[in-house]
Amino acid sequence: MVEDTRGENTSDTGELWRREAPRVLGALVRRYGHLDLAEDAVQEALLAAATQWPLDGVPDNPRAWLITVAARRLTDLLRADQARRRREDTVTRWVLPADWLSPGADRSAADTDDTLVLLFLCCHPALSPPAQIALTLRAVGGLTTKEIARAFLVPEPTMTRRITRAKQAIRASGAPFAMPRPDERAVRLAAVLHVLYLVFNEGYASTTGPDLYRADLSTEAIRLTRQLQRQLPVDRPGDGQGDTVGHGELAGLLALMLLTEARRPARAGPGGELIPMAEQDRTLWDIDQISEGVELITRTLPRGPVGPYQLQAAIAALHDEAPTAQATDWPQITALYELLLHHGDNPVVRLNHAVALAMAEGPHAGLARLATLDADARIAGDHRLHAVRAHLLEATGDHHGAATAYLAAAARTTSLQHQRYLHAQAARLTHPHPQIPNATPARDPE
Amino acid sequence: MKYMILTYASQQDYDAMSGKPTDRPAWSNEDFAAMGEFMTELNRDLDESGALVETRALAAPAHTRRVTSPHGQAVVTDGPYAETQEVLAGYWIVECGSFDEATRIAARLAGCPGPPDAAARAVADVRPLVEGRAELAM
Repeated sequence: MVEDTRGENTSDTGELWRREAPRVLGALVRRYGHLDLAEDAVQEALLAAATQWPLDGVPDNPRAWLITVAARRLTDLLRADQARRRREDTVTRWVLPADWLSPGADRSAADTDDTLVLLFLCCHPALSPPAQIALTLRAVGGLTTKEIARAFLVPEPTMTRRITRAKQAIRASGAPFAMPRPDERAVRLAAVLHVLYLVFNEGYASTTGPDLYRADLSTEAIRLTRQLQRQLPVDRPGDGQGDTVGHGELAGLLALMLLTEARRPARAGPGGELIPMAEQDRTLWDIDQISEGVELITRTLPRGPVGPYQLQAAIAALHDEAPTAQATDWPQITALYELLLHHGDNPVVRLNHAVALAMAEGPHAGLARLATLDADARIAGDHRLHAVRAHLLEATGDHHGAATAYLAAAARTTSLQHQRYLHAQAARLTHPHPQIPNATPARDPE
Repeated sequence: MKYMILTYASQQDYDAMSGKPTDRPAWSNEDFAAMGEFMTELNRDLDESGALVETRALAAPAHTRRVTSPHGQAVVTDGPYAETQEVLAGYWIVECGSFDEATRIAARLAGCPGPPDAAARAVADVRPLVEGRAELAM
């Protein structure tokens, strides 16, 4: 099996590959099955293209060329696989899943884009989320294993194994190359959205230096989410509400990504240190992404059941549209966080809710809300809880309590940048210098 | 009356045709092109005479799923054929007046160009298609 010997693609051929690879893979799996081997066959076809096209020129129909070459390679790989199994007397037999025997009309792949079917297949519930993410980036995103490994800061062999295992799990599951059945579509779409959300967050978690490659993950997540929005069939009557919620949430997720990504240019200082949103230079925010995200969420919200991605997008939109932290519509944000809490008791959401409440009604209201989180083991040891408490205590004038909380937060984060920031805050309060008024309980960086 | 003409090949024959030497000599580009021309002409001829209902070639035997139901449960076996096993490789369905006429059509395949080794082993079966259930009971 060939793993990413094609290396870096900087030319426009690389871009062509990114676009064509999932389509070639989709065409192959649709026709012949064997996602695992087909994936390797496509990689080898790309490799062949890398050596032949520069000499012979790009063929008139690159996709057809790739499909032909990949199909030939698939036959070879399949035979090697079959011969090995025959020697080992482990002929591949699999029990046909019962739902293959039900009428096929509902799950026809015929009218669906191959890459969309692939996306659902890669986010199959038989896989763990890390496996879903890796396989999605490789099979649908067209990223090399090397690129994915670098983005997730793991050695390449580790990522190779993860992807191989993921492909084996798909094979073992007997999942057909088809869109999910209507009755499971809502759940499966939720899984796809979750994977895209996780990919985006991986990329957004860091912004600079050696982690630049991780930023590409956010771009990739946005690209895939956009593509999904373009391709996902519009609801048919009788499909039930699942799909309506799904479409709204898909739009919500895309809006959330755009509205978050828009702030990236202002997120880090020259040394790579993270800058809290309240202190960011808002002129650096990306106006185009903001207007697209705002337009999208504004159009989506009135349409029907509002899910968590839409609520988070609505919150992000309020932040992005505010000229300053002070001028933000905090009461509205507080209300949105309350709605978000109805969708699940998430301690980070409760923390953000407390911050919004403090901004809307004053630090004492926020502190009272924070107290309810101390007993929550999921976040009681998290530096963010202590950092927020520190900010709010400082805003009430309790400098001693604030400094103690800053130090408690510093002791609980593993990030050196965070530690430096938090220690500086504590030092500022313990050894007062001529002070800059700090009326804003700065939020933890998003 | 409808007849089916069936031709056979093993995975090794497919290899030889694709230009890969195995136990059998690989086809040259000229061999392969000549076969293509012959088949195109034969099929055009059959089509124009009104005899051709359909003709197809099958993908390599490695791409085969065999479905069985040993315990009343559908079980799929991937790639059930051995490399040297001759299996269906292509077929024609022809509409013609008699078995003999269909046989004459099949005999034209003997003129198909190719390496001597392949030509010597080539087989075509002609079989009448059943037109209805009643015929099966005969």
